[in-house]
Formats: sequence, structure tokens, C-alpha cells
Amino acid sequence: MWSLTRPDAPSGRPVLVVDDRVTGATPEVLAAGVTLGMPRREAEALASFAVVLERDAAEEARRFERIVAAVEELVPRVEPVSPGLLYVPVAGAVRYYGSEVELAERVAKEMDRLMGGRMGGDALIGIADGPFAARWAAASAKVGEPLIVADTAAFLSRLDLSVLREAMGGDEMIHTFRWLGIATLGELARLPRDALASRFGKEGVLAHRLATGEDRPVDPREIPEDLTVVMEFEEPLETLDAVAFAGRVLAERLSKALRQRGVAPHALVIGVRSGEGEERVRVWRSADPFTERSISERVWWQLRAWVEGPGVPGGIVRLTIAPSDLSGEGRQLGLFADESSRAETERALARAQALLGPDQVLQGRPQGGRLPGERVSWSRWGEEPAKPDRDPAAPWPGATPPPSPALVLDRAVPLEVEWEDGMPSRIRLGSRWEPVLTWSGPWRLTGQWWNGRPDLDRYQIVTSVGAILCVVCDGKAYLAAVYD
Amino acid sequence: MGIEEIITTPLIERNADDLLELASGRLVELVGEPGGGLTRLGLRMLAGHSKVSTVVVVDTRGWISPAAAWEVGVDPENLVVVRCPDHQLWPKVTAALLEGVRAVYAEVPLRFREQDVRRLAALARARKVALAMRSTGPGLPGGLAHLRLRAIGVTWEGAEQGHGRLRRRRLVIEATGKGVAGIPRIIEVEDEGTDAVRLVSNVVVDQARRAVG
Repeated sequence: MWSLTRPDAPSGRPVLVVDDRVTGATPEVLAAGVTLGMPRREAEALASFAVVLERDAAEEARRFERIVAAVEELVPRVEPVSPGLLYVPVAGAVRYYGSEVELAERVAKEMDRLMGGRMGGDALIGIADGPFAARWAAASAKVGEPLIVADTAAFLSRLDLSVLREAMGGDEMIHTFRWLGIATLGELARLPRDALASRFGKEGVLAHRLATGEDRPVDPREIPEDLTVVMEFEEPLETLDAVAFAGRVLAERLSKALRQRGVAPHALVIGVRSGEGEERVRVWRSADPFTERSISERVWWQLRAWVEGPGVPGGIVRLTIAPSDLSGEGRQLGLFADESSRAETERALARAQALLGPDQVLQGRPQGGRLPGERVSWSRWGEEPAKPDRDPAAPWPGATPPPSPALVLDRAVPLEVEWEDGMPSRIRLGSRWEPVLTWSGPWRLTGQWWNGRPDLDRYQIVTSVGAILCVVCDGKAYLAAVYD
Repeated sequence: MGIEEIITTPLIERNADDLLELASGRLVELVGEPGGGLTRLGLRMLAGHSKVSTVVVVDTRGWISPAAAWEVGVDPENLVVVRCPDHQLWPKVTAALLEGVRAVYAEVPLRFREQDVRRLAALARARKVALAMRSTGPGLPGGLAHLRLRAIGVTWEGAEQGHGRLRRRRLVIEATGKGVAGIPRIIEVEDEGTDAVRLVSNVVVDQARRAVG
């Protein structure tokens, strides 16, 4: 695991590197309470003093390529996960180099040679059983002091639950576990798996597997020959634009083939042959099955890294992408709920947000209340929903009964009502008077006199064109909602 | 409206419940004054789609309440409300949504350009989006909607001169357009405040004697 630096960051100033979430920060920013993986908006609010830089993943991959190539000289078939994180299968290498300690030292020395500076060139090295434990062993290691985990289960048991955030795709389940009094992976591992399965489903089982060191189950299959996509070029491709175009076409062809078979890979083997006959191969790995978008991304990152980094002598004459570790489980999607349609929906809503502003694209969630307008808690689409102010499950005596009106006015509009002996007889709708056919009420809603809120009387009034909810306050009638 | 004037020929050639479904690539127009229950009916049409994907409501006044949508079976996690009070932006916003969302319920502003609505209908067909449009004004240009549902009467049960509460609505609707093979029909929809909004009768209207208005 390596920390990637940003050469374009202004020196001496606090810096925050973000995409949707925080991917990097300087110590001053971290001291302000920002953590890696925190949502961007939250981080920007906490560290308003910091210079914010957009993450450039392709550039990071290009710069990381040197490291990957160097490690690959020592151990074949390394698996980069994302720029900065590399898995190295060590079983064979340990036998070759003698021990895990020897291997870790060789890697650190190679980094010294390549990067200079401190031992390991700032690399954090962890060795453990399985990628999840190894990743957090590396995160717990110090520069120049590789952490070799002898007892993976014991090591994991001490880790805080937050390490599951990446695998769980968010904090929701972690918050639930904490609410249940579980703080570490060890406490989670002690729970019976079947109980987690029944309460949390597939995600609960995954969390338990990770906590017990079993890591993510992968269902590898033989790679069918026809799923490897190949493109050959009579004229070698030398410019980045030409290579990028070819890569995109090939990635789309692979995605289509995968979609037709209902499978998704956990690893991608990207290979090129140069005009001088040199073969280069890189394996990209992901804990979650690759999606169409992530396949295109990885292919682009890798090709850019090769072309802009060491260069491909003689240009590229052959490009191949082979899916590996195919998993049917990862693509069990609903009939319409495929990844591309979700991305399209997000793009459409983001476009609406850009046209109207973020406050006009909203999601509502139930909350408690007595008036129809109080029973919806609004939040901006795309942001974490606010916690409801009032518990929707609590009893709300005196609440306006269902069915709920479909139109609830954002502010009560004065309504002309004619009363006969205290009963509504006619209401004015636009330019005409409509006789009241029937009504129910009044239902008194006692106001909070200590907050200056007056008492309200509610009436459901039915006319020939439909029903409305009318509120009477201090002798004046208002239209509150329409049962449309 | 004189119900007795309607010739009550049972409709047997198609599933009557289909009239309350919003099919992909189809435009359903809902016409009628506010208060009749068409908003709730339109939201109910999104319920099935919300089980599998995000559905969107375009709200031109900022009044649509998701609570009514939840009651008729729309999944709260998959419902997004887009408020668009600017009638000039409305075509652009609705078009952007049709590019990526599978089911949309859109209120039509009082002032709209016919060509904009035609383009939106064409876009919905091309993108196979299920689209319901709610007109509060004169309605959409003729022949545009696959199915046009016009409210012609509404009655409520449950409220009795101050007692009780609103419990059940019966909405009488005239259905026209290609969705009913060009043969106008009168349907009644019953709504008890749950997701059990249902079609309770479905009769062919004799063109010469139909009583609508």
C-alpha cells in the first residue's frame, strides 16, 4: 500500500483530495476531523480552510504503474486493486525467497532502489491470510516495518468495525452493529452466522466472513475461451487517443459478452503486444464484481499508464482483455435493475439538479406528525437523508387520518367559506362557489401555546369536484390540502 | 352525470386492470380538475415500477405529497420528487429525466408549448419510458396520449355532515385513445386509502348516448 502524492498541490497548504468521498488529505486536514472515505460535503464543511483537489484516478494509476512493475519483477502476477493498493500472492514467492520476512525485505529494498528515501519508499506492507486481512495489516504497518500477521483471526478481532465500510459500501450496517453494542470485528465474529444471515441477509454473512478471516467468497470458474476479447491492428497504435478508443471499444465488447452470459469478473487481465514483439500483461482485481463502467475505467487507466509511462516501443499491435474469477453471484440483478440503467438514472437526476438546483430534487421519508405536511421528512436527492425529527412509528393521537391528501400546500392559502349555524355550506373555488355536499370535523388540534402556535380546527369538506382539507384558525379558514 | 344512460356492456376482450398500469413507452394523460383523485391515480401507476427502479414525480407547484404515493404502494426509497415551478424549464427538465428514468409522473404546467409536449411524448416512446402526464388545464393535443383518462365524477363515502371521516372514493373516468382500441369506456376506480386502488367496473359507452361532461 502506497501513499500517492499530488505534485500539483500547493506546498505548505492543507490539501483535501476528493471524488465523491475523501481519498487523501494532509495531516492538518485530518486533524480537523476529516477521515478517508468521508463524504465530500461533510469533509469540505469540516476543513473549509483546505485547498480542494479533484481526484485524477487515471493519473494516479499511471504513476502507480512504476511500483506495480517493480514488484512484478520480484513476484509474478501481482493484482492491483486501485491506484496505491496492490495484492501480491505470496505462497510461491515465500518458498522462493525463504520466508515472509525475506520477501517483505526484498520488496522494501526494491522500493528503496526505485523511490529512494526511507526504507520501503513509503510503502506499507502487510502479509496475512487473504486480501482483506492483508489490506488492513498493511494499513496497520509502519513505513519500513512490514507487519506479518501470524494469527489472522486474532489480528482481525482487534480491528474497529469501520474497516468494513469499503466492503459494505457505506456506514449503514456499521451503525446498526454499533447500536447493537458491537464495536470490533472480534465481537462481530462471535455472533452466530445464521443469526446475522436472518437479520441482515447476504450482507450480514459477508461481514461475518470478513470478520472471521474467511474473506470474500469468490466462485471462480474456467474462463471460457470466447470471453477473452482481442483486437489486432495492422498499423501499430502509438497515440493515446487511438489507444483509448480501441480500449473503449474492446471494453464494451467484453461487457456485452459478460452481460449476455449473466456473469461478472472479479479480475481483469489486460494485455498488449508491442510492435517489437514485447508482451505486457497486468491483472486488475476488485473485491466486488467489475461493472461495465469499472471495466472501461481499469482498461483506460492501464493503457494510459503504459503509453504515458514507459511507452510501448513500436506501438501497440494487439490488445486483449480477459475476464477472470467469474462470478454469477455478482450479477444477479433485477429484471430492470442493471448497473447501466442505475447510472443513467443518476445522470438524469444530476442533470435535473443542475437545471433546477439541488433543493428542487428531493426524496421524502416518513416521519411522525399530525398535519399532512408534517409527515414527510425531505432531503436532497443524493445526500444522506436527515434523521426524521419525529418518530413515524410513535402514536400520533389526533393525526389527520388516511387516506392522505395527494396535494399538500406548502403554505396555507386563505379559503372563502360560508357557514350556516357553524356548519360549512359553500366554499369558493376559483371564481365560483361550490355547495358543500358533506363534511367531517371539526377536529381540534391544540396548539403549543408556549411556542405561540394557536389552536386549529380541521375539516374535510366534500364538493362535487372532490374533497379538500380546510383548517380554521382564529376564525379564518385556509386551504391546507387537496384530496386529489 | 346520468349513470343510468350508460350501456353496461362488460368488457371482455382485455384485462380491465391494464388500464391502471403504466406501460413502458406509453403516454397516459390524466385530465381533470384538482380534487378528483387523478394525482393519486397517477402516483399509483408508478407503484409497480418503483419495485425495480427509481421513479420520478415532476411537481410544478411544490404540492405533491409523497405520503399519498407511499399509501398506494410506491417504494419510498425509489421515489424522487423534482420540483419545477418554472414553466420554461419544465420541458428541459422533463426531457432530461426521460433520458434516464423508467417511469415518470409529470404535472403539465398551465402554460406549455404544444411542440414541447410532442417532443416529450416522442422521447418517452423512443426511450421506452412509462410516462403519465397530469393536465389541470385544457389537456394535451389530441391523439398524443396512448390513453387519456378524464375524470367525470367523484363521490366520497365516510363523511356524514360532520361525523366520520373520508374513507372511500369512487372516481368515474372516461377512458379514450388507442389504449382502449379507440372505443371510449367509462370506468370506476375505488380508492380506500391503501394500495388497493382498483377498477370496479368497466363499461363500453355508446357513442350516441354516452353521458359524460
